[in-house]
Amino acid sequence: MPSIGAVRSEGSGEIRSGSGSTPQKRRSISGGPISPPSPVKWKSPRRSINGSPKTPSKEIEKDSDAKATRLHKSPMKNLSDSFLDKSKWNPGDSKQMSAAKEALHVSTVPSTVVCREDEQNRIMDFCKACIEHEKAGSLYACGCPGTGKSLSMEKVRRALVDWAGQAGFQPPDLLSINCTSLTNTSEIFSKILEKHQPRKKTKSSTSPLQHLRNIYSKKQQSSGMKMMLIIADELDYLITRDRTVLHDLFMLTTLPFSSCILIGVSNAIDLADRFLPKLQSLNCKPMVVTFRAYSKDQILKILQQRLMALPFPVFQPQALELCARKVGAASGDMRKALSVCRSVLEIVEAELRESINSLSLSSEKGAFDQQTLPALDSLTNQEINIVRVDHMATALSKTFRSPIVDTIQSLPQHQQIILCSAVKLFRGGKKDTTVGELNKSYVDICKSVLVPPIGILELSSMCRVLSDQGLLKLGQAREDKLKRVTLKVDEADIAFALQGIRFFRSCLQ
Amino acid sequence: MDHFFMLEMCSIWKEVDGTYWFRGRWYIIPEETAAGRQSHNLRRELYRTNDFADIEMESVIRLCYVMSPKEFTKANNEGDDIFLCEYEYDIHWHSFKRLAEIDNGEEGNEEADNDVDWDYGKDSGSDTEEDMEYEEENVNNLPSGPSPAHAVAANSWKGRIFGLNKIGTKKIPGHVRCHKQTELERAKATLLLATLPKSLPCRTKEMEEITAFIKGAICNDQCLGRCLYIHGVPGTGKTMSVLSVMRNLRSEVDAGSIKPYCFVDINGLKLASPENIYRVIYEALSGHRVGWKKALHLLNERFADESKIAKEEIRPCILLIDELDLLVTRNQSVLYNILDWPTKPHSKLIVIGIANTMDLPEKLLPRISSRMGIQRLCFGPYNYQQLQEIISSRLKGIDAFERQAIEFASRKVAAISGDARRALEICRRAAELADYHIKKLASPPDSSSEGKALVGMAEVEAAIQEMFQAPQIQVMKSSSKLSKIFLVAMVHELYQTGMAETTFEKLSVTVSCLCTSNGEKFPGWDTLLRVGCKLGECRIILCEAGAKHRLQKLQLNFPSDDVAFALKDDKELPWLAKYL
Repeated sequence: MPSIGAVRSEGSGEIRSGSGSTPQKRRSISGGPISPPSPVKWKSPRRSINGSPKTPSKEIEKDSDAKATRLHKSPMKNLSDSFLDKSKWNPGDSKQMSAAKEALHVSTVPSTVVCREDEQNRIMDFCKACIEHEKAGSLYACGCPGTGKSLSMEKVRRALVDWAGQAGFQPPDLLSINCTSLTNTSEIFSKILEKHQPRKKTKSSTSPLQHLRNIYSKKQQSSGMKMMLIIADELDYLITRDRTVLHDLFMLTTLPFSSCILIGVSNAIDLADRFLPKLQSLNCKPMVVTFRAYSKDQILKILQQRLMALPFPVFQPQALELCARKVGAASGDMRKALSVCRSVLEIVEAELRESINSLSLSSEKGAFDQQTLPALDSLTNQEINIVRVDHMATALSKTFRSPIVDTIQSLPQHQQIILCSAVKLFRGGKKDTTVGELNKSYVDICKSVLVPPIGILELSSMCRVLSDQGLLKLGQAREDKLKRVTLKVDEADIAFALQGIRFFRSCLQ
Repeated sequence: MDHFFMLEMCSIWKEVDGTYWFRGRWYIIPEETAAGRQSHNLRRELYRTNDFADIEMESVIRLCYVMSPKEFTKANNEGDDIFLCEYEYDIHWHSFKRLAEIDNGEEGNEEADNDVDWDYGKDSGSDTEEDMEYEEENVNNLPSGPSPAHAVAANSWKGRIFGLNKIGTKKIPGHVRCHKQTELERAKATLLLATLPKSLPCRTKEMEEITAFIKGAICNDQCLGRCLYIHGVPGTGKTMSVLSVMRNLRSEVDAGSIKPYCFVDINGLKLASPENIYRVIYEALSGHRVGWKKALHLLNERFADESKIAKEEIRPCILLIDELDLLVTRNQSVLYNILDWPTKPHSKLIVIGIANTMDLPEKLLPRISSRMGIQRLCFGPYNYQQLQEIISSRLKGIDAFERQAIEFASRKVAAISGDARRALEICRRAAELADYHIKKLASPPDSSSEGKALVGMAEVEAAIQEMFQAPQIQVMKSSSKLSKIFLVAMVHELYQTGMAETTFEKLSVTVSCLCTSNGEKFPGWDTLLRVGCKLGECRIILCEAGAKHRLQKLQLNFPSDDVAFALKDDKELPWLAKYL
């Protein structure tokens, strides 16, 4: 027996070096001591093959250390002094950079949610009242995307449990559902029921909804009464054609012995009015809490609050304000503000990399030229220890700029001619035309400038490409030729984009 | 005693010192995968890997069998060394892929094959620790190892040849094997769309951006979820750039400078329905096949549920979704879920979406575009210099094209669509035409003059004509005499009335006029109606249902110029020209 083992390990020991690292790892396993098979045993080969999670991270740390030491040697060493001095931000340090990025990431939950205290308090009061009186109730929170609805709900949920513990009430059951992750709208009832009776198997004879209704319409044993807080995110995904699911869900809170506190969250401001008219007639319309879009001051405050977690300033105050103003004016979407801030960090990172590259290049070139180095050194030193307004402006323009002019300018020539002919067609006040008509006008232009035109099949496929780029709009029709075409961009944009080309200038005149 | 491993032999050879070596493909047990042993894994389940190793023949212990699940259920008497393999495991991406049906069939046939030599050479040796109780009995097998192997040693790449054997190919004929490819043939091969180019010119900026995006997301210790949307017109190298970036990153993972991660590549077109994407993602991450509803539940647990994540360390996951716009459902919940996961803490999910439409995020619900973030990357159409560079970089080292010919093709394509696929196709077709001409000229094979000719402007021009010239002209040119008269009558009618639409009644009057004045026999209404319906089926004209007979409305589907161009100098009916 042992001889076999020896043969095996010898064989595997002679695996050629060219075959990669895995066999070698195998050898190290096979050379190991004999032990009965156990799950622990099996873990180790897996780890060694896939690389245990720790090793690479150490390597990365080492790598970053190496980078730091390289920085030390490079003329940027003045910067590296700020490693100890935490009051200054050094974007060259990967740890500080990633800390800044993490603070600005969407998934990072800030310790306190600022600028939403009002809404949170209202929701909290509602929940408290419900628990105190052991009364069911419903609430509907609405607002644009990225206004902190789900985040506030999460906070309220936590705070409520704490409060119930302190005030001596029985803490409510908690159930958070994102309605998009339901495979079937009525699945929400089975989830609620599951929460109610975790052990009991539901009988197949009655539907979960029926079952819930039965529970809530009977007087229960006094001890078993426990409130349940249901938070249903993206509530509008429950809207079915006959609206029964949404309706039934809210009706659960109106039953005499119901114990649900239902909080619905969605974007639509009038969802309750539109889809729950019957509740209104029963006079138990849900209370509505509106989350307004953030104003520029609020965005600024939130960004500052998030960045307070860092021991060093990252942004110039003006840069943050610019971002807040721009986003606040456009949509008031916090997610957008955060991603703009993150892309700014990336811009700075790229700039830094470039400057290091050019620096090392120049130092390679003129290793003996001592005078240029300090100059460059001071330049970079001055440049990058804070995100400046111009960085922010670049990032904002990248986000909010309309790319139409660039797109038109980079189009292939024939597609430009098509746009041109469309502009000509619509000059007369016409609103739309067909592909066939467009082709006629296109062929006319081509003939007038002696460019061989392309066929109509090609033309209609190019129209599709243009509509993909958001320049044209193609209607639906069975025949390609009869599809309606409308121009989606302004005529002036096209004229502006093509004015540099003499050929088109004469066409558009 | 020791551990045993299983591998599949791919090739065998003899070293100069007389030892036999073979190249094998490892099989691993579920514990060795990143996901670990799952509850659904059978006791004897194995995964085939894409990891190869060269091993000396001496270390082989014995033969064992790996079967597809179907055969595994049937097998009873084959002894103890039987294993089941349903998936291939990618050791770099840590993803699972079900072995294709054809592959299964092949593996299954190994056992049925009577050829003992073959059987030994192909199938795997050694086994796993788990089954140590029966290794004593089979020790005798060991010395017999090299000898059967010797008989087939010359036949390396057995797997391939075996596959060919199945369809009846016995041997590759000598003259084919010896055939030296001419420059033109090499050019044709390298211009094929399926050929993977060694480098991707003209997209370095975009590739750098993608690399920076992925690295920025996964290199930190805490991997923050993100989303990138890549858009651009077809044939501008979107998918290819991302895949090439991923290849480069993989080599960095191998070198140890980046932490390992999973990579899941999904094409929206290949999904039976948008919801199936959950199933595919989950299967790729864990190797477990479940229905999409269950998969959604499990993925939600993995990405969004904080409590479960804390327990085990999961590696970052990069999800590439090609043709993202096909995942848009009526309520867009699929896209919502996928784009919502990266915003969750600890999800470690990075989503890269690719689509053609520039304004897809704006067309989506605001809550989805808010989650999608602002990371966009645009792949513009290529201009002619770029196309030229792409073609010449592919043809590097092959002297088959004139410079002007390449430039002509790229200018032509850049003016119309900027689609690299099309430029490559034109060049390939031109090479084909040139090859064809040369072979026809030198029909008594005169090998000395072969391969000298370059693809010139003429061939490229011909290829462009073929590709861009509309097919409707060909159809009109080759249609019957009566259909030609019919079409000309329609054009004539159009010129006279200025109305695009006409009725069959009016048209037949015109046709009869044309016929009588030019000495043709008028065929009668029934025949004419049939001709009209036929043209309608070809979509040369648009017409209502034939049942309307007299009142049927007709309209040309193509511009009248096309008809004029096609029929102007018709040899059969020269008089048509005067009506056009």
